[in-house]
Amino acid sequence: MAFINIQNLTYQYPTSKAPVLKNINLQIEQGEFVAIVGPNGAGKSTLCYALSGFVPHFFKGELSGSIEVAGRQSSQSTLSEWVLNVGLAFQNPFNQISGAKYTVFEEVAFGLENMGVPRTEMQVRVEAALQLTGIADLAQRSPYSLSGGQQQRVALTSILVMRPKLLVLDEPTSQLDPIGAREVFNTIRNMAKDGTTIVLVEHKVEWIANFADRVVALKAGQVLLEGKPSEALTSDLLAEQGFGLSRYTSTAREAKKQGLWKKDTLPVTLDEAVEGFKQ
Amino acid sequence: MNITIQDLRFTYPTGLDALKGISLNIKSGEQVAIVGQNGAGKTTLVRHFNGLLQPTSGSVIIGDWDTQKHTVAKLASRVGYVFQNPDEQLFSKDVLTEVAFGPKNLGYASEKINALVKRALALTELSAETETNPYDLSPAWRKMAALASTIAMDTPIVIFDEPTTGQDAANVGRIANVIAELKKAGKTVITITHDIDFCAENFERVIALSKGQVLLDGPVREVLAQEEILAQTYVDPPQLTRLGKRLGWPEPIGTQQEFLQALSRRQPKQA
Amino acid sequence: MYVARASGLHQLHPLTKVLTALCLLIAGLTLPGNWTSYCITLLIVFPLSAWGKVFPNLLHIVWIVSLPFAISVLLIQSLFWGAGTPIFEFWLFAPKVEGARYALISLGKIILVMSSFLLFSLTTRPDALMIALKQAGMPSSIAYIIVTTLQIVPSFQRKGATILDAQRSRGLETEGNLWVRARALVPIVLPLALGSLMEVEERAIAIEARAFNSHKAETSLIEIPDTQFQKNFRTVTLVAMPLLMIFGILWRL
Repeated sequence: MAFINIQNLTYQYPTSKAPVLKNINLQIEQGEFVAIVGPNGAGKSTLCYALSGFVPHFFKGELSGSIEVAGRQSSQSTLSEWVLNVGLAFQNPFNQISGAKYTVFEEVAFGLENMGVPRTEMQVRVEAALQLTGIADLAQRSPYSLSGGQQQRVALTSILVMRPKLLVLDEPTSQLDPIGAREVFNTIRNMAKDGTTIVLVEHKVEWIANFADRVVALKAGQVLLEGKPSEALTSDLLAEQGFGLSRYTSTAREAKKQGLWKKDTLPVTLDEAVEGFKQ
Repeated sequence: MNITIQDLRFTYPTGLDALKGISLNIKSGEQVAIVGQNGAGKTTLVRHFNGLLQPTSGSVIIGDWDTQKHTVAKLASRVGYVFQNPDEQLFSKDVLTEVAFGPKNLGYASEKINALVKRALALTELSAETETNPYDLSPAWRKMAALASTIAMDTPIVIFDEPTTGQDAANVGRIANVIAELKKAGKTVITITHDIDFCAENFERVIALSKGQVLLDGPVREVLAQEEILAQTYVDPPQLTRLGKRLGWPEPIGTQQEFLQALSRRQPKQA
Repeated sequence: MYVARASGLHQLHPLTKVLTALCLLIAGLTLPGNWTSYCITLLIVFPLSAWGKVFPNLLHIVWIVSLPFAISVLLIQSLFWGAGTPIFEFWLFAPKVEGARYALISLGKIILVMSSFLLFSLTTRPDALMIALKQAGMPSSIAYIIVTTLQIVPSFQRKGATILDAQRSRGLETEGNLWVRARALVPIVLPLALGSLMEVEERAIAIEARAFNSHKAETSLIEIPDTQFQKNFRTVTLVAMPLLMIFGILWRL
């Protein structure tokens, strides 16, 4: 049995006129790092909310089909139980600050306090999490005094310190500089190696190609295709549908038309492109 | 309209030295991208261009106006500024009124306002949404509406702060198109961005800031090829620039077209 | 709002400070004497804030907020106070001694309310207050709302400043006569209100995602030191508050 099992999921917000997710079927194994790609309005964020229990527990609306994580059905669980297994961080970092804490250290501890983690363990876990995401130097700053990029790291740290089995991240690096984003991806990659399952919505295709195990492409609420990054991200289908592609892929596709790319498969990473163009 | 910055220094009330002596000239009609790590001073710098911030020392001259001698509202006739978060400015009942707000403030005649609004909506592909409440648009499209409301002001200088964050490939293409149209119309475009490939494909000149100082400044290909120096300010070169370098090509590559040309030059002639 | 300082006042239990502030407030408003509120402000609240090393911060905020209030109250009283001894006469204005006196008394009450509120909010960490309220038996959701509401002023200020910047960049004139300023209000207040509505939903999701409603017994990162003396003192204030109110009512009867 897969760790995440989504079957025939169809969902409509109370205010929307048509379903936002349509008959989604998706299985994800424990420790897998899955990237969700797709144009604006494809339903990526809604899928994140569905995995993290906010759809339908928080947003209400009509849901059919089932969502199962770690052997439990979302419909059979309450939101407050669900969030102990599934962590969610989303795009706007400012609104993820609790507003009840004076320092970053305390902000990160907020979730652990709510979970009832003993104080000494809390200290250790917060320190480790701050180290992991590279913001130990911000520990005593006020969360409000930080830049958007720094706040985004605080929001991510505040969730991963809770050690969820599934981590759902909706564009967690949108405000980070490229090297900061790479550090965050490395952190997430390592967590996946340690057994945390990762579902990540991301526009940066090159990062996905380098870090993710699998890509799921959504379009208009449906799964358009899924597969390994090297296959999915080079698919003609994505190119035709106007998805963002890595420059390596689009350039090699153009080169192939001119007879300048000899291989059958197209590259998504720098290494693959170097290898192919050397021929 | 030229921008002249002389030894600009800025210290926040908290004591943080955000800009430590920046001198720049940006000529009329240039397309400039500003890159650099979080906290390098990018936003602090461009906020001086329309007077939102005043230099602690040094000066910023827009055309013949010293920003210290004019209000932000006055400078708005010369410098348009698209903020990162559209929700901090949208307030009208429909997109049309929202986009007309800026040009109205600048006191243009109503025919001119109509023409400018129409063109801005067409450029951002929002023409079908004129009667939509901005808050009924998705976040990505709200950002396009905010962009339209600034370009409708028809200022000689337009600043974009991270225009591509949260945008899909189609909207990034639309933004690139807007920038190309502004260039055709002779406007100066200054953009802060982390999206280095977008930068390579749409700008002529790149300024890399680091810790409140100019680290690199020059034509896009030359600046973005300086891998080691860029790394100091947490910027990776564009994908195709890195590819060209890994292939051992001496010439700096920025765009797909340049890459393909360089590639075909190296192909042995087919017999 | 909290200002970090090393002071005895900062070390006190949050509830001690809340109750003391409330007690001073009630005393100033209910005890007889027109100038009681001034006396309490000057003789108790200000010295206490100096002990807490936040007197300049407190005075600054009181000054900014009460100045426009003082001007408007004095103006209204001098325009509309009926009979009395005029201080001077100029055109329509003939401020009366009695009017000015009444205005000053009202102002004293406002200043006391503000200073006693600031006395505790400038020296009490929001998280400490939240923990203290929960330990005192308040449900965490109510404690959270109280604490975040205290933060709302600085948060609104930050947001308002950004919106102001965005609209001025669109050519909105905000400096000038009253009419210009009044017209500038809509484009600033509306995004602030709409933005806050959206913010509420996202923030609810964010704190829920951090197990805010989990039914586990909560723990706290920081410990709030308390003493038997403070506990006794709080009991005294709890008894004193209703007594003060009753005394105030009886006196006026």
